[in-house]
Formats: sequence, structure tokens, C-alpha cells
Amino acid sequence: MKTRKQKICDWILAVVMLAASLLFLFPVIWMAANSFKTDAAITRDMNSLAAFIPPALNGNFFDNYITVLTNTSFLKYTVNTLFYAAVLIVLGVIVNGLAGYALAKIKFPFRERWLMIIMLLMIVPMETIITIHFFFIAKLGLLNNVVGYILPMIVSPFNIFLFRQFFVSLPDDVYEAAQLDHCSPIKYFFTMVLPMSKSVVATVSVFTFLNVWNDYLWPSLVFTSGDLLTAQIGLNAITANENTTMGQTLAVITLVTIPVIIIYTFFSKQIVEGVVSTGSKEG
Amino acid sequence: MGYVELKNVCKKYDKMDKNAVADFNLSIEENEFIAFVGPSGCGKSTTLRMIAGFEEISSGELYIDGKKMNEIAPMDRGISMVFQNYALYPHMSVEKNISYGLKNMKVPADEIKKKVDWAVKVLGLEEYRYRKPKNLSGGQRQRVALGRAIVKDSKLFLMDEPLSNLDAKLRVSMRNEISRLHRTLGSTTIYVTHDQVEAMTMADRIVIMKDGVIQQTGAPMEVYEHPVNKFVAGFIGSPQMNFYPVKLEGNTLSFEGGGTINLPERLAEKLSPRKELIMGIRGEDIKLDEQNMELYGADKQCATIENTEIMGNENNLYFPFGGITTVARVSKYEVSEIGDAVEFVMVPHKMHFFDPKTEAAIAL
Repeated sequence: MKTRKQKICDWILAVVMLAASLLFLFPVIWMAANSFKTDAAITRDMNSLAAFIPPALNGNFFDNYITVLTNTSFLKYTVNTLFYAAVLIVLGVIVNGLAGYALAKIKFPFRERWLMIIMLLMIVPMETIITIHFFFIAKLGLLNNVVGYILPMIVSPFNIFLFRQFFVSLPDDVYEAAQLDHCSPIKYFFTMVLPMSKSVVATVSVFTFLNVWNDYLWPSLVFTSGDLLTAQIGLNAITANENTTMGQTLAVITLVTIPVIIIYTFFSKQIVEGVVSTGSKEG
Repeated sequence: MGYVELKNVCKKYDKMDKNAVADFNLSIEENEFIAFVGPSGCGKSTTLRMIAGFEEISSGELYIDGKKMNEIAPMDRGISMVFQNYALYPHMSVEKNISYGLKNMKVPADEIKKKVDWAVKVLGLEEYRYRKPKNLSGGQRQRVALGRAIVKDSKLFLMDEPLSNLDAKLRVSMRNEISRLHRTLGSTTIYVTHDQVEAMTMADRIVIMKDGVIQQTGAPMEVYEHPVNKFVAGFIGSPQMNFYPVKLEGNTLSFEGGGTINLPERLAEKLSPRKELIMGIRGEDIKLDEQNMELYGADKQCATIENTEIMGNENNLYFPFGGITTVARVSKYEVSEIGDAVEFVMVPHKMHFFDPKTEAAIAL
């Protein structure tokens, strides 16, 4: 039973949390509200509370969005990014999962040192090795190629570590039972380990999707052709175009933000569960 | 040659001085139910895992059905195993758990269905057929694990403490169920347990282990009545056998904490010329009833009850005697209370004697 003092503390805490979340939500609300307005309306409402209120629903309400989706290649870039993300999720789960499984369950020489090396790689920023990736892909003649974009993105030390931490907790006797059930190690991985590891697979998939969706640097180095560009690069190309209005810019930014919001809304439980169960957190 | 033959089998782990299992020799006959029993760390599970192929045999030979198995993969040894923690596939239903091995063995679908139907019926799992393991109780899970083992028609069943996670009541019913299954299927079964009651009630033969070494192998009553050493005598039987350091002069046995008993001459002759001995006697062979008092009353002893355990069908009485806390197992009609002074006798021909140095039993 909570005392009166504790109840008051809870209320104060709730109000503070609400105020803090509103503070973070203001830019998003402002962006979304103005993405439906003309440039003149955005400028007019700039210094008033109306900046946070979308215009009345009328025939021109979705004009900015329609223009962006029909007159630019943004839809194509979005489809490209979704395709890259899907391929990288599948390959990432298989490759990083197998590596994590080996580090967790298979005894081989210097296993602990390999794990140490992988953990050390986690603290190396992407920007420091991206030049090497670039020269490597260029040497292979894979610049401006989907394979060249995907190849260096498959392996992630962080994802290997996440998988490893989760797989360590899987009981060994299930593997032994599967062996007696004539299950090969590879079959065991795909039919037993992955289905038993839904939370960590969900976590890795979400992180991979967000990584691909938000990545700007690597695709901007690899891709030069407009046909292969990703949403973030497309966003830059569209907003940099002098014919694009402020409202259209905000509409594109809103569109780019929507998948991230959806992911966090629907998968926040899995993200938290996955990270908590592996005893690690990103960054 | 037995159906399962272990010849000089040893297991040594890296960075360990002693063998986890040392010079293990055993021949197990076809259709036999054999139990490995011993305290934690005695090597019983390690031996079972070597038979299964999950642990490498450091030295020695293992034969199953006449074939050397040292280098054969677990799946090719023709065995089924039930694990302590069930080891069910959590994302599969009861039916899929049971049929998984058969599918991998490319058994025709109609045959799989027949076998699963049979297993589910035999184990009373019909209504749980489509449930996942997380929605089952411990006993039901263990039944699924049994089902997974029995559908494969293996000639050798390995069971690694399968009942240790169940509550006492369920353990008794599962004990019966496993015994019944063994009789129905007639397969050779190796059962590992630390519970001597399980071993005594289920097995045709018991292997008692300590520190990786077999202490005694024999039928349950044989090891109970004729333990080869003090360890076996103490491990088998509940409550544990009472052990007294005693001195023998002539045919008089003197207890360290006071009290003497005159042994029958034939018994005293067999024990001589030893002077110092360890005498062991089970609780049920310490008698308080009138009939035994009349028979052995010349050597009756006195003590004051310190504690009692009322079991319902019988009572355990604890009292100080001979330098130790002695336990006597008496019938439920012989009611005593803490603080009561009691007279008792020890049945001479039920006494066991051990060498105080080697702790080996002295043949009588």
C-alpha cells in the first residue's frame, strides 16, 4: 500500500516525464503539422501556436505528399531501401547468428580470444573502417552495385555479440536430444535455435532495419546511380533541389520518419526483451 | 557378451588429476533395467553420457549389441534418451516433439501417425496433443520426453535422473509408469539416479558408484542385505544404517559410548582375531517389541528418545547410543515420545561388520 507521500511523488514524476516527452515530441509534431501546409502558411504560423496545428482538411491537404510521391523518385528510393533492409535482415540473421552460435556453443581453439576481438570491433566506429570497405568494394568492381552495398553491411560485431549472449543461455540438452533425433547441426540451427530465439532475432532485425534505413554515409559512397539510391540519400537529393518547397521538404522528412516510429511503436517490447535477455545494450 | 558392455572405461577431463570415471567394467544384459546410483559427482551421469556418445571415452571400450561404439556418433548408436530437464523442443507441440525424430529418420507419414497415436495413448497425453511444452505440467512434460524416446523403437533407453524435477507424489506415479513401459517394451534401460529408493524399486540390478568407481553391482535386495563396504551400506536404505566403532573381546562387543552385547559364538569366531571393528545395523533391526525383547533380552540396552519422525505407517526414533545418534525404525503401534526412556535390542544376525581401515565388509 502506497503512502500519501509516495502517491504525490508518483504524480510529480509522471508530470515531469510527460513534460520531458512533450519537449522531445514538439519538433516531430511541428514537422508533421507543417508538412500539410503551403510555404506561405508555414511562414505565417511560424511564431504562433498554430505552427503545431495542421491546417483544416480540404482538397489540398495532401498536396505536398502527392507532389513528393509523384514528381520525385522518393517512392522508388523507399522501395530500394526496404529491399536492402529485407536482404540484410535475412543474411544478417543467418551469418551473425551462425557466428554467435559458434562462439556460444562450439568449442574451438582460441574461442574466447575471438570473442574478445569481436567485442573490440564493437567499439571501432563505422567511419574509421568505411574507407577500407570502399577501396575493397572498388577493387572488386562492385561500386554502384547492390552486392557492393550489401556485402560489408552483413557482418555486425554487435549483432554477433547479441546472438552469442543469447545462445549461451540455450540449454545443451536440447541439442543432445536433437542429435538423437537425427538432426544435423545446420538443421538444428535453423529448425531449433532460431525458433527458440525469437526475441533476439526480432531485436537484430529491428536494429538492422533501422541501420539500413538511417544510413547515409555508406550508400552515398557506393551508389552514384539514381536507380539504386536509398531513402536517406533520396531525401537529401529532394531537399537540396531548389524547386522543392518547404512543405514538400517536411513531407519527405515525415515520410522518412514514419517507419522508425512504427518500428519503435510495435517492436519496443521485443527490442527491450532482446537486449535485456542478452545482457547488453547498443552504443 | 552382454547387450551393453563397458570394458575398462575411463573418463579424464583436462586439468583434472583424477579420473571422473575409473576402470568401469560392466555387462548389461538385453531387456535388463539397470540403475546407476550414487551421490553427486560420483560419475554416474558421465558414464551414461559416454554410453550416449555425448562424452568422449578417454580409454576403454564400449560395445552396444556387439558393436564397438567408441567412435560412433550418438544418433547412430540406436539409443533413446530421457533427460533430467526434459529437453523438449519449446516451439513444437507435443505431437511434433514426439514425431520429430521419426520425420528426420524418413519414416513414412502414416507410420509416424500410428506411432504418435500409440505413444500419446499409452502416456495419457491425448488431450495435450497440440499443446506446447510451456503449457504442460512437469509430469506431462516428462511423459512427452518418454513419448519421444519410445516411438523410435530403440533397443537401449538411457534415462538421466528423469524424475528429479518432479514432486514426491508425481515421482511415485512416474516411477510406476516407467517400470510399466519397460515391461511393455522390453528394451534395455540404463537409469541414472541419486535417489536410492528409485533405484531399489525400479531396477533389476543396481550399480552403486563413488568417486568414479563402481562400489558394488547387484540385485536391489542383494546390495541391501549384503553391502560390500560401509559406503554401500550407508547409501542404500533409508534411514541410513547406524554405524558404531566397537571393540571385540571374546564374544563381547563393547560400544565406545558405553554398552555391551554378547555375540553368538559362531559370529564372534568369524570376527576374531579382529579387536576393533565398525558395526552397522539398520534401523528396522533395532527392536523395541516384546517378542524380540524375550528373544534377545539378555543384551537389552537403554536410551532416552531425543527425536521422533512420525511417518504414518512407521516411526523413526532417534536416541543417543554407542557414541552416535541411533535411529530405530519401529511400527506405528510402538508410540514413543521425546524424553521417553526406552529399552531396545539389536538383532545379532542382522549386524554388519566392517574393517575400520578399509571399510570393507567382513564376510560372515
